[in-house]
Amino acid sequence: MSVQFKSITELRAMLDDKLISASELTQESFQLAKKYKELNCFVTMNEESGKKNANSIDLDNESNSMLAGIPLAQKDLFCTEGLRTTCSSKILANFIPPYSATAVKKLEDAGSITIGKTNMDEFAMGSSNETSFFGNVHNPWKKGYVPGGSSGGSAAAVSAGIVPGATGTDTGGSIRQPAAHCGITGLKPTYGRVSRWGMIAFASSLDQAGPLARTAEDCAILLNAMSGHDSKDTTSLNSTVPDFSENINQPLDGLKIGIIKEFNLDDLDKEVQARFEDSKRTYEKLGAQFIEVSLPNISASVPTYYSIAPAECSSNLSRFDGVRFGYRAEDTDDLNDLYIKSRSEGFGDEVKRRILIGTYALSAGYYDAYYKKAQQVRRLIKNDFDNVFQTVDILMTPTSPNTAFKFGSKGSQNPIELYLEDLFTISSNLAGLPAISIPHGQVNSLPVGLQLIGNFLREDQLLNASHVFQQNSDFHLAQPNLENF
Amino acid sequence: MDQETVSTICYLARLELDKNKSEKIKQDLETIIELIGSLQTIDTSSIEPLYSPLEMTALIHEDIENSDNKKNQFLENAHSSNEDYFLVPRVVE
Amino acid sequence: MSWETVIGLETHVQLSTKTKLFSRASTAFGASPNTNVNLIDCGLPGVLPSVNKEAFYKAIRFGMAIDAQINQTSIFDRKNYFYADLPKGYQITQMDLPIVLGGSIDIQLEESIKTINITRAHLEEDAGKSIHDEYDGFSAIDLNRAGTPLLEIVSEPEISDAKEAVAYMKAMHQLVTYLDVSDGNMAQGSLRCDANVSIRKKGEKELGTRTEIKNINSFKFIEKAINFEVKRQIKLLENGDKVTQETRLYDSSKDETRPMRSKEFANDYRYFPEPDLLPVVISDEEIQKIRNEFPELPKEKEARYQDKFGLSAYDSQIISSSKSMADFFDAAAEKIENYSLLSNWLIGEISAYLNKEQIEIHKSKLTSDNVAMLINRIDDQTISGKIGKSIFEEMCLSGSTPDEIIESQGLEQISDDGAIEEIIMTVIGENPSQVKAYLDGKDKLFGFFVGQVMKLTEGKANPKAVNSILKDKLK
Repeated sequence: MSVQFKSITELRAMLDDKLISASELTQESFQLAKKYKELNCFVTMNEESGKKNANSIDLDNESNSMLAGIPLAQKDLFCTEGLRTTCSSKILANFIPPYSATAVKKLEDAGSITIGKTNMDEFAMGSSNETSFFGNVHNPWKKGYVPGGSSGGSAAAVSAGIVPGATGTDTGGSIRQPAAHCGITGLKPTYGRVSRWGMIAFASSLDQAGPLARTAEDCAILLNAMSGHDSKDTTSLNSTVPDFSENINQPLDGLKIGIIKEFNLDDLDKEVQARFEDSKRTYEKLGAQFIEVSLPNISASVPTYYSIAPAECSSNLSRFDGVRFGYRAEDTDDLNDLYIKSRSEGFGDEVKRRILIGTYALSAGYYDAYYKKAQQVRRLIKNDFDNVFQTVDILMTPTSPNTAFKFGSKGSQNPIELYLEDLFTISSNLAGLPAISIPHGQVNSLPVGLQLIGNFLREDQLLNASHVFQQNSDFHLAQPNLENF
Repeated sequence: MDQETVSTICYLARLELDKNKSEKIKQDLETIIELIGSLQTIDTSSIEPLYSPLEMTALIHEDIENSDNKKNQFLENAHSSNEDYFLVPRVVE
Repeated sequence: MSWETVIGLETHVQLSTKTKLFSRASTAFGASPNTNVNLIDCGLPGVLPSVNKEAFYKAIRFGMAIDAQINQTSIFDRKNYFYADLPKGYQITQMDLPIVLGGSIDIQLEESIKTINITRAHLEEDAGKSIHDEYDGFSAIDLNRAGTPLLEIVSEPEISDAKEAVAYMKAMHQLVTYLDVSDGNMAQGSLRCDANVSIRKKGEKELGTRTEIKNINSFKFIEKAINFEVKRQIKLLENGDKVTQETRLYDSSKDETRPMRSKEFANDYRYFPEPDLLPVVISDEEIQKIRNEFPELPKEKEARYQDKFGLSAYDSQIISSSKSMADFFDAAAEKIENYSLLSNWLIGEISAYLNKEQIEIHKSKLTSDNVAMLINRIDDQTISGKIGKSIFEEMCLSGSTPDEIIESQGLEQISDDGAIEEIIMTVIGENPSQVKAYLDGKDKLFGFFVGQVMKLTEGKANPKAVNSILKDKLK
């Protein structure tokens, strides 16, 4: 029985009904990964350990966890004990962590099987998965097109049906945007909802781990397992974690959805705009009410983000110095030479660019004008959201200004072209708010994503609104034609 | 952005740019700095910076040992080490 | 040309917490290399710091002792630079909002007391250790020390010479050991001193260019390093040269300072608030608890020793100057009544012994119970003071109690008048010519007879009784 393209919920039923065993399911995932190797979703496979764990699940009759025996892909930004973790960078090409990230551990403790580590933009810096040391990831919908980034490998693996779910990380849109370009569902939780212990840091005050899956229902299952307070992460929320699956079927009557005035959708591709208008009508039919709202400072999101994220990353990446782990250059004259050569040879261009911008933004004489200024504007952006959530429940935007594009067609002349991919997603990272992307159609055979942004700690509302939409549409059921791979 | 500034920030970050790429990267940096410089027009007088989206305070821990020493694994991960230390080219003070 | 020296001291105090500032690895001294290191201390990718409560409590106790302002809300910042023993490539420290602000310390000069104001004190993590000369061509990195909590205390530039600097560091040492904030050991590195030294013409208001002197690890070297640096700067300025603002290392083997190579390039530390740590807030209840459990400081002890125990001002000051000595006194005092005898012993015999062996009292074999017992036995005349001294020597070596030693060596004083009289009669009987000479006027011979009695009694005869009975019998 083919497991490709099945959701977690469907696979759970199959496992419970003994139609397939965990070992068989895992085996199939590995076979699919091999079959679609050309997509380049994976950096490292976890066959030996994965098969062993699946076997243990089969022998354990006690387990009643939703995720027991479910194969998942883990973004290669999460430390996995004993399993190579590279962040798709040369500088960590041979790094074997001596510990696992909390988010991964929680998923594995819930019985899921880690199939492998997925390809990504190097150190999560990028929106197209074109900066990986291990090569580009293909969008399963069109060969030679980007899957989005930075969680491109995870999104492609789910989209191609190799695994029913995967983890990603989102600092400026890196779960939502690839989910949109690959036609699947991806959720960035509230900042602090999922522990960052073991998640290799890019921008500490913006990074958040989250699930990618075929449906909102599945995302809720994954989020349930991943969430929770972790005393090892002092930025981890101490709030009780609700059961995100509990109220997922609530009818949407009276749901107030805000449309952001400052995002002028007329500037978008006509077809992308048309999909957005269609979804508005769907939600109206489901009982929702649309209200125009103003977020006066939202157009400052991109410059604000590109001051803060590089600054934090320039400091977070200082530990990659060739001394205690990672790539070390040969033939160096002295310690400084060792640092300079190891880092220059080990990091790719985009990472170097961001480290340099960040160093500049923090340097003496520029700190106030760039870094501090950006953090002040950040507060203005957050205040705008707080204001708006007094009158609406959630906000709705397109996830991305466009659909997936050809390799190399953006950003090579001007890096800002790629930065503007994140136009709609970035502000929720700045404010720490949860947001989800769900597929809502296609343009030129490429998927288009719809984004919902929620209030602090209200992932439940996002999942509910997404799930009901998915119960009343079939965009999430579309599958890419993989015959070219 | 003058060359001296580029050299200084490269040194602070312990990075050196490929000769044939350095001009392009310098241009990229100038473009990005112009982008982030656009924030200057926004009035933020009397606005406190928001360093973290969480308006909460840090958890603090008891002074109880919870040693998780993996000395051998740490040293094994290093490019140069012996059974006791990480090794780097000799530093002269 | 009349020159004036201006010195500000930066003291790094290693806090005596059991675990590190941002991880729960042990801070125990002397562990084998890279064993007190966990994931966080190694700066591995993906790790996050978590704050040690006790480090804050110790810092606050220090702040209270110097009458400083305690910032109940404080934040951590990153100080970014590259060095082999700095695993993350940044140090987590406190820049804008330190835990302690202001305050002052009184220092003891020869004839007077001077108050030195403190600018601030903040918490930060220590770096690891680099060993440069053990492996050919390599420097070896040991991260045991990385992450240990430090309290960096910055004084105002109000110290005027090397002697004052030493007095300041001694006061700092006494304070941190008294408060159980640190073991204040300069040789082991738990108390470190960096001196900022500058010169200016006498009477000038503006400060001269200062240099920072590092690597000073004893009180003696503080004096030498500062004196060398002052001479060096004066010479430069008198020659018409300028003093370069730089960091210099003190080399004790050559008794000189020289520029530090790794600090050659001016570093821009790019401080920014640590995003992995939220602001730390210490509650009013916690502050009150620290206040309630505040230990007695030297000045208070001195007053108490004078009032309660009737000790002299001088004796009180000596005993209270060391916490371990004062604690010892307090414990022993509970079991005795003759406080001045105890005090004399502590300041005399016991201190002489400790100095000779170069140990502190709590590290010796002496216990307060044993010393109390010794004092009591002398006081109640079971033994003479002289015998007491030999018992004391045995106590130091074996740790046995005075009673055990008295019994095993049969040292009990003979105080029975009858027994003493018998022995005296024996001595008189055996020395007729000396008796005659004494009775003829040779008074000095009295000592001879006392000596003979002591010889026969192996020193155990009660001297007072001997004297009075002898006088009586030699009439």
